Amino acid sequence: MSYVAEGYNSFETKKSPSGIVKYLPDPKSVIALIQSGKLKEHILLVQGGTTTFLAPALSMGAIGVITMSGAPESHLGILSREFQMPCVMTAYLTESDARYVTGGNNEAHFAAMIKALDGKKVQLHCEDRETGRVALLS
Amino acid sequence: MSTYKDRYKDADNGLRFQDLVYQGNFKGMDPVPDGILGDKVLRQRAKSKVLEKVTKEDVLRDQFSVNELNDLNNYLAWNIWDVLVMRATEGVSGMIPRQEYEILAFMQEFLRWPEILEMTTNEVGAQGVIDIGATARREIGTKINCVHDWCIGAVGFGMGRCGLLALEAIQPQDYVRESNVILKFMQRILWGKRQDGYILNSQDRYRCRIHEKDVIQNLAGQIEYFEPGSEKHDSFVRFNAAAELLSFLDHYDCRLGLGDTGPYELPDGKIMIIRDRFTNEEAYDWSDVCDHEKVPHCYTLCLVIDPEKMALDEIRVNDISTTFTRPKNYIEHIVGGAVFVREKWNTPMGEVYPIKISELDKRLEGIQQATFKLYTKFSRMSRRTLITNGMYVYYIDMILPHLRLAGTYEKACKDYEFWEIDQRVSNYYYDIVKRGFAQATVPQKIFSGEGYLPFPDDVSLTRSKYYWK
Repeated sequence: MSYVAEGYNSFETKKSPSGIVKYLPDPKSVIALIQSGKLKEHILLVQGGTTTFLAPALSMGAIGVITMSGAPESHLGILSREFQMPCVMTAYLTESDARYVTGGNNEAHFAAMIKALDGKKVQLHCEDRETGRVALLS
Repeated sequence: MSTYKDRYKDADNGLRFQDLVYQGNFKGMDPVPDGILGDKVLRQRAKSKVLEKVTKEDVLRDQFSVNELNDLNNYLAWNIWDVLVMRATEGVSGMIPRQEYEILAFMQEFLRWPEILEMTTNEVGAQGVIDIGATARREIGTKINCVHDWCIGAVGFGMGRCGLLALEAIQPQDYVRESNVILKFMQRILWGKRQDGYILNSQDRYRCRIHEKDVIQNLAGQIEYFEPGSEKHDSFVRFNAAAELLSFLDHYDCRLGLGDTGPYELPDGKIMIIRDRFTNEEAYDWSDVCDHEKVPHCYTLCLVIDPEKMALDEIRVNDISTTFTRPKNYIEHIVGGAVFVREKWNTPMGEVYPIKISELDKRLEGIQQATFKLYTKFSRMSRRTLITNGMYVYYIDMILPHLRLAGTYEKACKDYEFWEIDQRVSNYYYDIVKRGFAQATVPQKIFSGEGYLPFPDDVSLTRSKYYWK
């Protein structure tokens, strides 16, 4: 299987959720998604690895998350493990050399990630101890 | 088969949880790794005995030497890196401007805490401060815990001084006297809590086994056992996660809402983590939504993990109250649990009560509602309000539990204007957004260890700061 993106695996799990990637840019979009009743149809794509931004989505049963920064030791990494919700962190596109740089200007990297993943149907693969992977389904 | 007990053998150096290494003030020397080996290296490089087991007499002594101050500075700097360097990759929140409120709070703490901690020490005495730490040995749902106690020194002294040095507001020779006050308070609290001579979990191979034997036995007696993957397991795990999430949110995305101790080995070889989740802090005005949903001050969960089934290689209860394991996923190997409620911070231990796992779903609904309401509330707040509130969470909450038990919280509010923000720090609000100070400069100084400059060897121990330029 070929993978479009990969990153840190928040925790090892056989769960392999699939859904349409939805990029969430701000708290309003998170609230709107909750209120739409379609939370569980989506793999959520977010910029940060902090937990408060996604709080209601986690609480209401999000099925999987891809972050563009953060690590398993980050708050979102810890919470994804506690919720047993697969989470690929600091993801990067496998066909690109661009990587997230802590404290750096990551705008172009984030934009490329969003363009490549938002709206696509994907499946998360998180069996490996260290690396989480994102497979493109359509 | 588990190998985690090998980590407790003297010759063992532990596993590496990360590839990064630490340099700090040790220029020209080999870099330092994380974990048990990192602790060993730091202790070998110390110039004093302050990082070894210390006696009560040592702790009661009011003054550290310059070498002791610098050894503590170096150790805390490495310890901060050890527990936070990977977390530091998480970037901006999108919700709460955490890096901004953090750096302001660090500086506010370093400038304001010394006189408040000194007043508190004067009120209860050095032994009284040790006794406050010792209360944690017989309680659950108490914020006299790893993260709060560690924050006194690691955040208020370490990061606060680091931030002001980075801003070039102070010099390495400034505030020696005040640094001693903060670090003595931290040492006394932690020593009283652990009572094994150490102050930090990292010195004890990441163990925080502070509770008295009879307390452990009482808690373990309430455990309900279940099969992994069973309905009970799912309910317990779901509740654990939801309570943790609300604790993070109520505390502005920081770990002051969490508190793990352990691992405690049970008679059958399984291990127990005692986990406090502070879901409603009455000191915060935004916690009113938690009151509305009847969410208590704290839920305490006892998690029983089967180390053999998960083939546990290492477990760390680190100094910011968080448990990490290798393999990482210990949740699916939880085989038993219990939940306790402490309604208010000062509810007597005799009134802390257990709830059955079958009753957790009713409680879960309140947690979810409070989470959503709190989120909605935060999403409507201005950036300035979020930063101010976040500052309060750090600056107030990190020493609030100690002041509460000392009986000096009201005095701090009334006579020391505890809830006011120092004018210098208010002015720094405008500086921290310039040239990436909050988002790049300070994190780099803090997490590389470069910013924790040592005190000069010949500095006067009574030196404060009188000259501002």
